[in-house]
Amino acid sequence: MNPNMINWTGLGTMVRVEIERFMRVATQAIVAPWITAILYIFIFGSVVGTRIDTIQGKEYIEFALPGILMLSLIGTAFAQSSSSLYFKRFAKHIEEILVAPISNGTIIFAFMMGSIVRGLVVSFAVLLTGVFFGAASFYSIGLFIFYIVGVAGIFGLLGILIGLWAKGFEQLNALSTFIITPLTFLGGVFYSITMLPEIMQKITIWNPFFYFVDGIRYSMIGIAESNLTFGISFVIAMNIILFSIVWYLFKIGYGLRD
Amino acid sequence: MSEAVSASRETAALSVKNFEKKYKDGTVAVNKISFDVAKGAFFGFLGQNGAGKTTTISCITGISYPTGGTIEVFGRNVVDEYKEARRMVGLSPQEFNTDIFAPTWKILDYMGGYYGMTSNERKERIEILLKQFGLEKHRDSMFQKLSGGYKRRVLLARALIHDPDLLILDEPTAGVDVQLRHELWKYLEDLNADGKTIILTSHYIEEVERLCNDIAIIADGEIVAHGTKEDFVKDGNTLEEAFLKITKDNDNES
Repeated sequence: MNPNMINWTGLGTMVRVEIERFMRVATQAIVAPWITAILYIFIFGSVVGTRIDTIQGKEYIEFALPGILMLSLIGTAFAQSSSSLYFKRFAKHIEEILVAPISNGTIIFAFMMGSIVRGLVVSFAVLLTGVFFGAASFYSIGLFIFYIVGVAGIFGLLGILIGLWAKGFEQLNALSTFIITPLTFLGGVFYSITMLPEIMQKITIWNPFFYFVDGIRYSMIGIAESNLTFGISFVIAMNIILFSIVWYLFKIGYGLRD
Repeated sequence: MSEAVSASRETAALSVKNFEKKYKDGTVAVNKISFDVAKGAFFGFLGQNGAGKTTTISCITGISYPTGGTIEVFGRNVVDEYKEARRMVGLSPQEFNTDIFAPTWKILDYMGGYYGMTSNERKERIEILLKQFGLEKHRDSMFQKLSGGYKRRVLLARALIHDPDLLILDEPTAGVDVQLRHELWKYLEDLNADGKTIILTSHYIEEVERLCNDIAIIADGEIVAHGTKEDFVKDGNTLEEAFLKITKDNDNES
């Protein structure tokens, strides 16, 4: 085998291991976020949503569904890579990968793929629930796939960063509890930013999660409250920047080979 | 004794030159050591706990990065040419570093995949190894359910999945009963006779004495003795007595 070539079988095996790992705990990895999403859809669709006016001509549940989907996607993508890498370090079976002829870039990409696949599975389940409630629609399937894959990639990479850094379970959950969950909820998952006071609208446009929620919402119902070109560029740039940071940390052996 | 067994770069399975491993806190785990292991040798790497054996092995195999010097496996630098170097090395580590919830055959299958083996190659090799290590009836058993001896067998089989030329065994018989230990010794002797180079660390000195023809002793991160087995036992000492004397002398000097 040419040493400069990507070890495709190694990459495929790593991705397979990641998928088998989350399927082994499917209740926790897939069913739990799905049930949470069902509850949101039921409550905001059938209970509260029916008492709320339409937003820009859309039923409330149609408006909220993309945000709920993004909420599930972000949580699962982050949890996949962070917990997988952390437990592999904790139980030392990351060494099986470290001794193998697999490049750092391939290892990172495999963890990312694990996050993207799990994100896709959960997103599909949420989407099916949306169909059941008559709330799912597509404005641009291409953009929908772009946002699902792109955002899952970002949170897969963030998960790798935390998986490398965490020394214990407390640290593993810290970013999710104190940053990801609050910023996602405040990124317009359940509301339009036009409903906010002017000062809050100005603050929200500095919340990066707003662009993820807004982008997927546009891809589903055709309503955007931000500049889409900026949003798409931001998703691509975040993937490149985070991948570069993670690659550098792997190169110096941070958390793995130090 | 000071006349180490030398091997030129062309004939060395492993060539370590001024290798150093220093941690971020300034601790020097291994201090600029140099030694060669000839192709086909059965090399014993002895030292007390914390002497630097596992650190050296980690840097040879890619688990850790060296902070100085060079390490070459069959002439391939383990940092710059890591893909080629790692393909030629198999490691059976001291700790059970595998997915404890995975069944035996999958542990082997995953490892073969990481090494780039095709599905058919893996299937064929797994069957051979399961048979060789008496693991056929445990092929679907979860790793954590296996006894200590069988866990060791799985790790040995895993180290051999890609048929490496250099096999590194870090305490391979720790926690293994006498009968299995003898079986493993026989198996390792056969592998060595077939041309595989083997590096063995063990706290069982009699194991090293029986198996190894080339021995190095590391103490406080430095090679304090390197020679043939005959060099160590020529004064009528057993290898254990020679080891204790050398490490004691080193303790007194430091």
